[in-house]
Amino acid sequence: MSSARMRSPLGRALGLGSARDGVDAWWRERVSAVALVPLTAWLTVSILMRADKGYAAVVAWLKLPITTTLMTLLLIALFYHTALGLQVVIEDYVHSRIKIPVLVGMHLGCVALGVAGLVAVLKIALA
Amino acid sequence: MSSQSDRQRPLSPNIQIYRPQLTSVLSIGNRISGIALGAYAVGLVILLVAVASGPDAYAAVYKFIGSWVGRIVLFGGTFCLFFHFCGGIRHLVWDAGYGFSLRAIYLSGWTVVAASIGLTALTYVVGAILAGYGP
Amino acid sequence: MIIRSSDEVSRTTVLKRFPVPRNFGVDAASRIDRGRTWPAPRGATRIKRFDVYRYDPQSGQNPRIDTYQVDLDDCGPMVLDVLIWIKNTVDPSLTFRRSCREGVCGSCAMNIDGTNWLACTKFNADLATPATIYPLANMRIIKDLVPDLTHLFAQHRLVEPWLRSKSPEPERERLQSPQERAQLDGLYECILCFCCTSGCPSHWWNGDRFLGPAVLLQATRWLVDSRDEATGERLDELEDPFRLYRCHTILNCTRTCPKGLNPGKAIADVKKMLIERRS
Repeated sequence: MSSARMRSPLGRALGLGSARDGVDAWWRERVSAVALVPLTAWLTVSILMRADKGYAAVVAWLKLPITTTLMTLLLIALFYHTALGLQVVIEDYVHSRIKIPVLVGMHLGCVALGVAGLVAVLKIALA
Repeated sequence: MSSQSDRQRPLSPNIQIYRPQLTSVLSIGNRISGIALGAYAVGLVILLVAVASGPDAYAAVYKFIGSWVGRIVLFGGTFCLFFHFCGGIRHLVWDAGYGFSLRAIYLSGWTVVAASIGLTALTYVVGAILAGYGP
Repeated sequence: MIIRSSDEVSRTTVLKRFPVPRNFGVDAASRIDRGRTWPAPRGATRIKRFDVYRYDPQSGQNPRIDTYQVDLDDCGPMVLDVLIWIKNTVDPSLTFRRSCREGVCGSCAMNIDGTNWLACTKFNADLATPATIYPLANMRIIKDLVPDLTHLFAQHRLVEPWLRSKSPEPERERLQSPQERAQLDGLYECILCFCCTSGCPSHWWNGDRFLGPAVLLQATRWLVDSRDEATGERLDELEDPFRLYRCHTILNCTRTCPKGLNPGKAIADVKKMLIERRS
């Protein structure tokens, strides 16, 4: 008989206790979602209006201060929201010892991708 | 006694038998579209890096977007974006404490389905007009 | 199709189950075999087929699906009547919990045609043919339709479902205004049948740590009780990425509650309280 079966049902339900945490991640996911509502709407309309206009037009558009600003905000909100969302998905389905390495890798990946996007936007804007 | 408790009790089936309902189907849909949009976010970064790298890199990315595979990928992304967008707004309304009657849950659910299909269609119609295919 | 209350039966015939393999993620001991078919009684004219989940812990065998041909003219109108009819006239070994037969005890909660409901308040006429009867989804099964609810009651115990007060005990009863009493409406009616928790995908994947809709609705019942003085401590115990925040507002709970309650709304109210106390 394993030790897990000897533990009382209440002991098992209590587990490691409450983390007294979680409201923050939940709230940030919501705030980033609110930010993404106008930002993704803007991006969709902008792409739609600029498809097939050629490289020079795209660069000119990205060089506009308003575009640089909104694209920077979009990238930050997007990858922040993605990281928080994927964290929930991974916690839901991954129950083995790889969970925490996967979480760490995912968060670092999101930061790296977000920074790569920001650097690209700034390079275009400042070139 | 021990011979019984040694054998793990069977787990009754869950997802294998539970009826899909608008509630659970839209929830898993929101999740799948969200994960897909994570991949499209990578695509956005690739596009931005290509623009920053110069006309040749941009042309290569643009060639892919213009290919049939690229078009299908872009269409899927458009639908995922609107689906997650509308579903996300529905979730924000819930988080604010509204829309929890079953009638409201189903009305908002079907609205999300209709709106995401409608917005995707609208995007392609407007895109076609702007590209000069329309009237 | 717009559902207005949880007792509305879905008439859609498309996608009656999720397109996953029958044994998707199922451990060897939980795989379901084909059982035996019991014939219809002689002379029966109005026959309905019921496929019922069976498991006998003493047989050493896996769970199975037995098929019963039920004489509807010989039994009452509810699913519980069918089960009692089977037990009385066909197969006395069929095991299930039942007590009040009027939807107030919560004993006969089971998965009927793919959704959780009380067998005693579900009409046979609302079922497909063949009708499928499983135990509550995602439970360790003791025998046939009897799930082991030990863990769920331990989770209920975890939220300390009793009045916690710090003021000196009053001489008489603790007073509550009619308005304060009204706060408990929609919460106190829960009969702990666990239809909602058993129908919650998030509880399927993380039931060891996520408290599930039934227990969280019970927790809300004490959070909003004007006589309770442990609201802060209760919120502390709930604020956890798994205990509370595994709720992703799927709302299968609200769709399935046989008492017409709204666990999804109750959980959203807890999340709002947690925002309120820090903003």
